[in-house]
Amino acid sequence: MMRTASAALVACSLLAGPALADEYGVLFEAEGVEETYYNCAGCHSERLVAQQGMTRERWDSLLDWMVEEQGMAELIPEERTVILDYLATHYNTDRPNFPR
Amino acid sequence: MALDNEKSPQRAESYFAEDPAAADRAFFGRVAHRDRRGFLRGAGLATMTAMIGTAIPFHRNMPQGLIPAAFASDDVLFGKDGLTLLNDRPVNAETPPHLLDDAITPTDRHFIRNNGQVPDDMSAEGWTLTIDGMVDNPMTLSIADLREQFEVVTMALTIECGGNGRAFFDPPASGNQWTYGAVACSEWTGVRLRDVLEKAGVQDGVVYTAHVGADTHLSGDPDKLPISRGLPIDKALTDTVLIAFGMNGTDLHPMNGAPLRLVVPGWPGSCSQKWLTRIWLRDQVHDGPKMTGTSYRVPNRPVSPGEEVDKADFDIMERMPVKSLITFPENNATAGGSTEVRGHAWSGDRWITALDISIDFGATWTRAELDAPVNEGAWQNWRTTVEFPQAGYYEVWARATDSAGAMQPFAIDWNPKGYLNNTMHRVALRAS
Repeated sequence: MMRTASAALVACSLLAGPALADEYGVLFEAEGVEETYYNCAGCHSERLVAQQGMTRERWDSLLDWMVEEQGMAELIPEERTVILDYLATHYNTDRPNFPR
Repeated sequence: MALDNEKSPQRAESYFAEDPAAADRAFFGRVAHRDRRGFLRGAGLATMTAMIGTAIPFHRNMPQGLIPAAFASDDVLFGKDGLTLLNDRPVNAETPPHLLDDAITPTDRHFIRNNGQVPDDMSAEGWTLTIDGMVDNPMTLSIADLREQFEVVTMALTIECGGNGRAFFDPPASGNQWTYGAVACSEWTGVRLRDVLEKAGVQDGVVYTAHVGADTHLSGDPDKLPISRGLPIDKALTDTVLIAFGMNGTDLHPMNGAPLRLVVPGWPGSCSQKWLTRIWLRDQVHDGPKMTGTSYRVPNRPVSPGEEVDKADFDIMERMPVKSLITFPENNATAGGSTEVRGHAWSGDRWITALDISIDFGATWTRAELDAPVNEGAWQNWRTTVEFPQAGYYEVWARATDSAGAMQPFAIDWNPKGYLNNTMHRVALRAS
């Protein structure tokens, strides 16, 4: 029963393994990257984060949406500030770290 | 680390080890000879050759279920050829325009848009589809039942992601940053949704369908669906909406919804629920995940780029707008004094009446040769030859016009979530 799904996923992951040699994947390394990576990449790829370019306000409401609609655990306030600072600095609308 | 079990290579390998025939078929469309080597009548050989990028001289010896060592290091897109990976969890990948040149999109070049984790079990055997809600006769059907009880049809049908072209929005819109290639027109085999719903007996007062698939939510919460969208009942009862169990003459690719999915041509791809298990009919607009809020919705009026729009002012997207793609030549190609230019054009629920080409930044236009669609719901292929007056840099622009007179714009009609970008495709050419 598990096989097909796993196969598809794993085929992917199997092949993706070495590409993730960097500890935080494709995320820009700076203060806050660790908190950002571990809170986001538990559910989805950090690639989805790195593709975005948003203002601090929009990142803030996106985190609300993650909690309200997508089942993310509430962040402790200090951690949320660190993550928002990181995202608003390195993934703002000017897209300084767009992955392609 | 949370990622560890997801990244374990043992799981794929064990699938290939335990059921090499099924794994080969699912990933490559491959069938081996009776001696469990090679490719019976070449089935799957073209796919594997394309993925590897060169011929396999000793293919007749290749054992069934052998994962080519070439894939073990750097290809996250098993069974796909040349796609650009946007996201690996969930998997989202698009096809560069020049790889969409085929009139019918091969399975290995069909884009992938996943919202959740793919189901654990995608085998056709034992798969069921339940039709319930506001119907006279609720039904649970196997894929064999669908084949036996309803007319089986094969149609070329265009599926485009609602967010195709999002990458060009300024200010940026959140979501996967699709450029051009979240569109495809493969041949789908299945039964008409209309026939199935009519057999179930659509009750008076039905407003909307609601679709459920077997994919699971990224958070791992078993009570959450990653996505469940629907269609106005009038659209669901049109004759190009299929419940598909075949893709380009074989099984569906696992990432494209195997073993059963909806195909709703010309509407946002999210309407075409993958890994389909249930369709229920409702007396209200469906309110499943990604039907509400601002998902797959656009403002009900023109807005300025970056404007904050109240949630109450969003409407559900329905048909996709008129659009075209240049699939030859590739962007930044070189050409002599002239070149063939070709591609596809489509418009949801409509057809294309003209395809015009400009090589002088839109000052003058010439009409391309345009084919009729092979069937309703398929994109239309077009081609022309352009002559360059002298050596230098040119841009080929393509502009489609549809049966309602709508024409592709040059500038993006910006909206907060980055949907419906149907601006003209521009391809750079250096003539020598």
